[in-house]
Amino acid sequence: MHGEYKTPGEKLVMADLDVREGRLKDVEVSGDFFLEPPEALSGITGALENAPADLAEEDLAERIRGAVGSDVEMIGFSAESVARAVRRALT
Amino acid sequence: MTNSWRLIDGEPQPPAMHMALDEVLTRRVGAGERPPTLRFWRWAAPAVVLGRFQSVRNEVDEEAAREHGIQVVRRMTGGGAMFVETENAVTYSIYAPPELVAGISSVDSYAFLDEWVVEALRSLGIDAWYEPINDITSSEGKIGGAAQARRSGAVLHHVTMSYEMNAAKMLEVLRIGQEKVSDKAIQSVEKRVGPLRRQTQLTREEIIQCMISTFAERNTKSGLIEDRISPEELAEAEELARTKYGTREWIYTLP
Repeated sequence: MHGEYKTPGEKLVMADLDVREGRLKDVEVSGDFFLEPPEALSGITGALENAPADLAEEDLAERIRGAVGSDVEMIGFSAESVARAVRRALT
Repeated sequence: MTNSWRLIDGEPQPPAMHMALDEVLTRRVGAGERPPTLRFWRWAAPAVVLGRFQSVRNEVDEEAAREHGIQVVRRMTGGGAMFVETENAVTYSIYAPPELVAGISSVDSYAFLDEWVVEALRSLGIDAWYEPINDITSSEGKIGGAAQARRSGAVLHHVTMSYEMNAAKMLEVLRIGQEKVSDKAIQSVEKRVGPLRRQTQLTREEIIQCMISTFAERNTKSGLIEDRISPEELAEAEELARTKYGTREWIYTLP
């Protein structure tokens, strides 16, 4: 499943994932955004992996925020835009 | 800016070597082993250069790329995919100590580090400006895009600008908005992009020379000091191209 979201003036976020037994699996978040340090991407996908597929957008965003430390800089995208791309992949 | 800037305007390199050179030269500047440097790239082969966080299948038609002999590589910085052919792009990197952008936010530092480019383009008669976060654009369409990484104690800022564009080929190779390659799609891309040749009628070399002199006037007291990639830097980059940037593991970090 594939979903995309771009906040106006920001960068495009894509989510590719599967759903098995009601949970998100094989989540891949990609796009033309900037992220420092780059390794933080696995924290973002890790926060989504195995999440219940019926979680609301705000709850997905909350999970992502909880997984990225204060030293991580998301440039051109946000926990909210990733959560929206995931919801779009699911609908 | 500091007055000891070096200029590297060297030999054409294969795409994976350019990726590796960016990492090596950033590290060298961060370690104080090399003064701040401006490098112009010469392309030895056509390539699709993916941003660090882009997925190959979402961005590239690999079969079309293969048919056209275009390599797919992934750079160390984020941002969007670029399709470059050897003579149709102007690409440069800035390797600078972090003090240069101290107190400037990441978003603002993009425009800051390319002020000289906008000035150079305007001096060539192009109605150019910076479009945050990372685009150099003009009233005739988008010209190029920048990407940055703050790594190893230094800032890497690199930009690819379109000199000429083969919109049909670009649409075959890059998946842009999933558009089919139709005449309409080609016209739409041609409208959105304003390559430098179309806007100036100048050669690529003339544009690069103008950029070099604008950079020197703005950012140095006594001009850019001509430099080259040292044999050690070259060897380090060749090793990194072999063990990292040229590997499937790196290129398919995001399949």
